[in-house]
Amino acid sequence: MMSIKSKVSRRRFLGGSAVALAAGTLGIPFVRTARAQVATFKAGVITSLSGENILGGNLTKRGYDLWAEAINAKGGVEVAGQRFKVDMFYGDDQSNPATGADAAERLIVQNEVDVLFGPYTSGSTIAVQPICQKYQVPMISGSAESPNVWKAKPEFNFGIIPAVDTTAGKSLAVLAKLSNPAAKTIAVIGVNEPFSKETGEGFRDGAKEAGLELVAYELVPASGDLTPVISKIAALNPDIVAVGGHEEPLINVVKTSKSLNFRPKALIMHYGVTDPAFAQALAADADGTCGVSVWLPSVPYKDDVFGTARQFAEMAQKKSGHEPDYTEAACAASGLVFGDAVKRLGKKPALTPEDRVALKDAIAATDIQTFYGPIKFEKEGNHYHDNVQPVPVLIQIQGGKTVAVGPKEAAAADLTYPLPAWK
Amino acid sequence: MDLFLQTLLNGLLIGGVIATFTIGFQLAFGVLHVIDFAVGGWVVLGGYLGYYMAAGLGVDGFLAIPVAFVLFGAIGYLIGPILYNVRNSRTARPELMALALTFGLFTLLRGGMLTAWGFNTHSVPTALSGESLAVGPLTVPLIRVAAAVFAVAIASGLFIFLYRTRYGLAIRATAENRQNAALMGVDIRRLSANVYGLYAGITAMAGVLMGAIFSVNPEVGLRYTLFAFFVAVLAGLGSVGGALVAALLLGVIEAFVATYVGSSYSLLAIFATLFLVLLVSPRGILRHGL
Repeated sequence: MMSIKSKVSRRRFLGGSAVALAAGTLGIPFVRTARAQVATFKAGVITSLSGENILGGNLTKRGYDLWAEAINAKGGVEVAGQRFKVDMFYGDDQSNPATGADAAERLIVQNEVDVLFGPYTSGSTIAVQPICQKYQVPMISGSAESPNVWKAKPEFNFGIIPAVDTTAGKSLAVLAKLSNPAAKTIAVIGVNEPFSKETGEGFRDGAKEAGLELVAYELVPASGDLTPVISKIAALNPDIVAVGGHEEPLINVVKTSKSLNFRPKALIMHYGVTDPAFAQALAADADGTCGVSVWLPSVPYKDDVFGTARQFAEMAQKKSGHEPDYTEAACAASGLVFGDAVKRLGKKPALTPEDRVALKDAIAATDIQTFYGPIKFEKEGNHYHDNVQPVPVLIQIQGGKTVAVGPKEAAAADLTYPLPAWK
Repeated sequence: MDLFLQTLLNGLLIGGVIATFTIGFQLAFGVLHVIDFAVGGWVVLGGYLGYYMAAGLGVDGFLAIPVAFVLFGAIGYLIGPILYNVRNSRTARPELMALALTFGLFTLLRGGMLTAWGFNTHSVPTALSGESLAVGPLTVPLIRVAAAVFAVAIASGLFIFLYRTRYGLAIRATAENRQNAALMGVDIRRLSANVYGLYAGITAMAGVLMGAIFSVNPEVGLRYTLFAFFVAVLAGLGSVGGALVAALLLGVIEAFVATYVGSSYSLLAIFATLFLVLLVSPRGILRHGL
């Protein structure tokens, strides 16, 4: 009898202890957060934190984070004379568009974010757009460059970087104009995946406007060997070779060209060349490669949060050890768009579903000057909700550094043309 | 005609390059009967070793080749018995468990590399990088010649080892019939560890070359794993000689399709070849496979 009684009381004791322990571990922090909780804006970031686009994914994350840090250091986003800090929530698309859509849904439903900051790749951005539409949550995309993102006329998505079809061709025209003796022929290579292919198409279509004869247009798989393609192009001996791709294929184009002892008079690429990792991986062989950038630390723009473009670059450099490229800058500028829109909207956190729709309209009405340049979204046409304001700058790697070489008003150095033979 | 010859040369050389990491893969499959998903991981690790040796010590990337063999051979030797135990366990589907283990190992290697070395793309500098030789109208990239020579040397070395030595005989016997080999006094467990070590060492050596020819980042490993698998199926699983022939064939097909039809069709051509060969000869191109 005694033993039964003792067992029961022990069970009760253990049960009571478990409840007390649970209350201690779960309850007390809860009470603490509840007490300490101050309204904040919740921003969700969907990007490639793993998978093949991890490099760019981290670039975008760094850009968005730079804004969050800068604005929080000022006390937060200003609404009706009060300041509200920003909490960042992250969703990894694993370099896969479908996973990106899942991540966006999770950020909206579980984390209840007020705004989304868009993925690194255009593919993921296109996959996330319907989710934004479904839940009526505005998204500001600091990286997407594919024209297809905007051709779909996304009601809730806004892009900071001009679509690649507006920049690739324009930069080719600048290059052709600066070339002396004047370039006549061009071969275009595009890696067969959304952004890179469209970059290739941008170069291909731009060639005509630049007065260049297109001798080859080749789409290549992302994982294939480039020797046959480069051999074929070398046999045609074009003045300019233009390549649409991300970092790794771009590096391999240079390495393969050198191994086949082929050097065109000019080699132009789009995204990736502006990333310091490109020059680092190729060392001296990177020299002479041209690229397109819609922003450089030397541009003459400024704003109240980051200061001048140079000050932003210094802040980013301090944080990551690398000079920021235009994607990182555009992502940071995405936050400025949100801050400006929510200030004009005058709604405090947390935003209601109606507020979020009104926020979308406020973002659409954006017309601001930032360290990144002017931001104003297209209201119709093929670039609906894209900011096509920035003027592309032709850059070239010279002595391991990225310098602006054209158009003349933006140039900090002369274009090296024709490129010397490989050393 | 010049372009035709250049294309043939490009194809043979890239075939040689692919063969560098598929030969070891075949050996491991032959003995352990495991499709090693981690093959791409070993290739990338070899590439990183080359990069860090060159960047840290200022030496030629090629010096990493013997170091890769010793270092990753030792690591493979330690992993071999684990794989052996899983492959020969009494679970319902030990072959699937072993596959899962190598897949897990690959994921671990990839994640570890990302954490340790970041996501930037690197290149292994060697004296031959970017060097080429003009032979008549042809341009011969020397680094690719080195990789092809390496592949032929490794394949020949393995042939001599497998067919001219007693230990090679034991390996072949184990590949043929594990139980009978064990009854004949072969220490299967140790042999498996040795073979996995040999395979990991060879594959990491190939990785140094891959890092010099192309570029290296933790994410490219999966591509190498898939290519090794393509070549292995075309060659016939477990056939070392077939790996060399299949890699050369795939290289030549890819080069000709890319030059004369279009690069976007090269993968299609590779799949079509794989399909046709399997239709005619399910045991692979030399009919030596399992």
